[in-house]
Amino acid sequence: MRSAEETLAIAGEVLDAVPAGEAEVTVVETDSALTRFAANTIHQNVAETELTVRLRLVHEGRTGVAEVRGVEADLPSRLVTAADGARRLTPPAPAAPRLPRPDRRPDQPAAYAAATAAASPEQRADMVGRICGIASRRKLAAYGACETTTSRRSIASTTGLRRSASTTRCSLTVVVRGDDGAGYADRHGADIDAMDAEALGLEAVDTCERNQHATAIDPGVFEVVLAPYAVAEMIAYLSWMGFSALARQEGRSFMRPGERLMDAGVSIVDDATAPNLHPFPFDWEGVSSLPVTLVENGVCAGFVYDTPTAALDGVASTGHALPMPNTAGPLARNLALAAGSGSREDLVAGVRRGLYVTRFWYVRAVHELRTVITGMTREGTFRIVDGRLGAPVRDLRFTQSIVDALGGVAGISRERALEHGDNGVVLAPALHLLRFAFTS
Amino acid sequence: MRELAERALDTATAAGATYADCRIVNRRIQMVSAKNGSIARIELYEDEGLGVRVIAGGSWGFAACSRLDGAGVDASAARAVRIARAGARLNSVPVRLAPVAPVTAEYRTPVGRDPFSVPLDEKVALLLAVDAGMARVAPVAVREASLEVSEEHRLFVSSEGSRIDQTIVESGAGFDAIATSADEVQTRSYPNSFGRHQLCAGWEAIEEMRLAENAERIAEEAAMLLTAEPCPVGMMTVILDGTQAALQVHESCGHPTELDRVFGSEAAFAGTSFLTPELVGSFRYGSEAVTITADATTPGGLGTFGWDDEGVPAQRTVLVDQGVFRGYMSSRETAALLDGASSGAMRADGWSRIPLIRMTNVNLLPGTSSLEEMIATTEEGVYLETNRSWSIDDRRLNFQFGTQNGWLIRGGKRAGLVRNPLYRGVTPDFWRSCDAVAGPAEWQMWGVVNCGKGQPGQLMHVGHGAAPCRFQRVSVGPA
Repeated sequence: MRSAEETLAIAGEVLDAVPAGEAEVTVVETDSALTRFAANTIHQNVAETELTVRLRLVHEGRTGVAEVRGVEADLPSRLVTAADGARRLTPPAPAAPRLPRPDRRPDQPAAYAAATAAASPEQRADMVGRICGIASRRKLAAYGACETTTSRRSIASTTGLRRSASTTRCSLTVVVRGDDGAGYADRHGADIDAMDAEALGLEAVDTCERNQHATAIDPGVFEVVLAPYAVAEMIAYLSWMGFSALARQEGRSFMRPGERLMDAGVSIVDDATAPNLHPFPFDWEGVSSLPVTLVENGVCAGFVYDTPTAALDGVASTGHALPMPNTAGPLARNLALAAGSGSREDLVAGVRRGLYVTRFWYVRAVHELRTVITGMTREGTFRIVDGRLGAPVRDLRFTQSIVDALGGVAGISRERALEHGDNGVVLAPALHLLRFAFTS
Repeated sequence: MRELAERALDTATAAGATYADCRIVNRRIQMVSAKNGSIARIELYEDEGLGVRVIAGGSWGFAACSRLDGAGVDASAARAVRIARAGARLNSVPVRLAPVAPVTAEYRTPVGRDPFSVPLDEKVALLLAVDAGMARVAPVAVREASLEVSEEHRLFVSSEGSRIDQTIVESGAGFDAIATSADEVQTRSYPNSFGRHQLCAGWEAIEEMRLAENAERIAEEAAMLLTAEPCPVGMMTVILDGTQAALQVHESCGHPTELDRVFGSEAAFAGTSFLTPELVGSFRYGSEAVTITADATTPGGLGTFGWDDEGVPAQRTVLVDQGVFRGYMSSRETAALLDGASSGAMRADGWSRIPLIRMTNVNLLPGTSSLEEMIATTEEGVYLETNRSWSIDDRRLNFQFGTQNGWLIRGGKRAGLVRNPLYRGVTPDFWRSCDAVAGPAEWQMWGVVNCGKGQPGQLMHVGHGAAPCRFQRVSVGPA
């Protein structure tokens, strides 16, 4: 992996080749590896290294973009020729875009662990072996993946911006399957040495053994306890559907400033500076990512911004840009739902008749403005009877408004789990919800 | 490039690999998008690298890098072998591959007009004309139009002696009109949702979409949906347009007939399949109106090529024949587990990912009906157009789809637009209720450009030939 100086030097060479106007160069280098296992054997085992360089060129109100992955020959001239060619054919924008200036904020630490950056295929195989060993000793079969990734993002621009940070991630996911049922567990973090493979394997095995020979139940509206795996998915969807300033500006967001949306116990923040939220110091424009309170005690409190949406509202960017230019707008990617006070067992104890859901699967937005999503339960859905986990039930489809569900919160656990998804991380507790609609 | 690929094989076999293949892929993409009256982005993307896949110690290893020189190749080949040996610690059964004849060959997508030869200003003018058409409809607050053209060169070499050069060209485009009111947001897309419709073809594919000619009509539908009646609730007849039929085939037939899912390779992520091997040849998957093939030779399909990414020739496989489940899409490894031959469905998302069993063109073959005949012979039901949401369980049985709009059918006639329609079902029950598929005149290839699978994630472009089709006694309701 290249150092900050080396990647910024690549960016500098591209900037030096820009003939006129403002320009921004983003250099991303990634080294990742993933060991995948099925039925207690490793069946896919891969690694990749790649270098991506992106140039955004703005001149005379016109923007052109070129991105190259892997092609290192004549990189500066290749990028500048392509981006400037695109720029010349772009009609001038009504409001000429400007690249951000350096915000002079000090870099917050990024989530990084040298042990993860140095992880070997033998180390990943050993972790997988420990999980598979636990499963096979119980006559069960383990499936899953162990992934380690190191990446560096560097940004430099003609406006004087020069930033670089490196981050690591280790993800362990496992499904343990028995004759007629399965259990799930995952762990995510920056440091592979902090991963407890045994605990992960035992959790999945325990759920699997309790989730055998499930019976079908009729769909309907149930009181539920959702494990953090399921809660994280809901919060990530809220972000996608309405925490962005662009969604509000275009009339697509469920968020109405100052309005009570959810139960008073619900507070959601985005904080890319928090050590427990897999921090990273700046966004894809090189703007410092600042903490934003999105929902405070159930009331809509704020939105995340990139430079264009901030300019429209006359405020400063909060540092939540995706690669520019784009039509998707900013995105909250380091989310946390505030913890409660009880344990997960306390939440279950508060339910007389209901369901416990380990995780959701194949969740999709059905109606964004009403925050309706659908999906299936998977690998661990149980009855709750008189405050105790009961027999397993067959997986169910739910179709439910997230905001409506969060309007009936009866309990929030104090323990939270960090989940990594396609669009960032969510730190989520377990939730006791009074109403949740299962539809088939 | 061929020398580098050969060097990768030599390095891997010298390090102990008993099998090796190497793919060098170069891809260039041109993306143009317009939003609300101006060009939002013109972006040129280029991508090049190599992936080395080996069997060593009886296990798979794969390493990819974007550094195309001797040092990069040697490092990747050695890394792949080391990874394979690490994995072999846990594996007691060595990987076995179904045989395939080595070949030296070339393939190129037939193209009418090279999409990269079309001037960028022509592309800009097209998207701005589409935008202007949508802008004539007042409640449409957000207008987006985009196009994308790509060309991918793939070199495949294997230690068994195959040397295959392929060039795949794709062209795609589409637009979205988003209408808003105080309490509703409605989107209409054309020709398909989620950005665009795409084919393995040249610029002629985009011209045939007649984007500008349809812009105002689609925007008007988005506006009408704001105040349309909610979709009715109940068990009723459902007619799907070609785009939704294509996605229904994709989710409920394409994925469950991927043989790696059956053997558990995706059990921890994408899931498994209800179509287990003992059901081949006897299981009633659908009605007699339902015949579905996986056909990598269909002209224009996004799953059309000369050879797959294991060097297996493109071919046509019958998945469902007149309702009876007949077979799978497979790889050399999974086919060997059934003592068969690969169906040629191994495809990789670029150079940095391993090939997985992916759909090629999974086609619902045309029937003998027509959309108008289906509507005319429906007493009460809905005609559903353009996907809005999709979800299905991990065995591919319990599904729920939403579409952007629906047309209420009463007494054999369209009786008005309805909003937020959903339909749900269980795969074999649903396909057994299919009583009509439109004929060749309404059958066309559709492209899905966002098919996700695998860890690390891969996005694949796959094709689906489909026509409007009708289903009886389906559970329908509003979102």
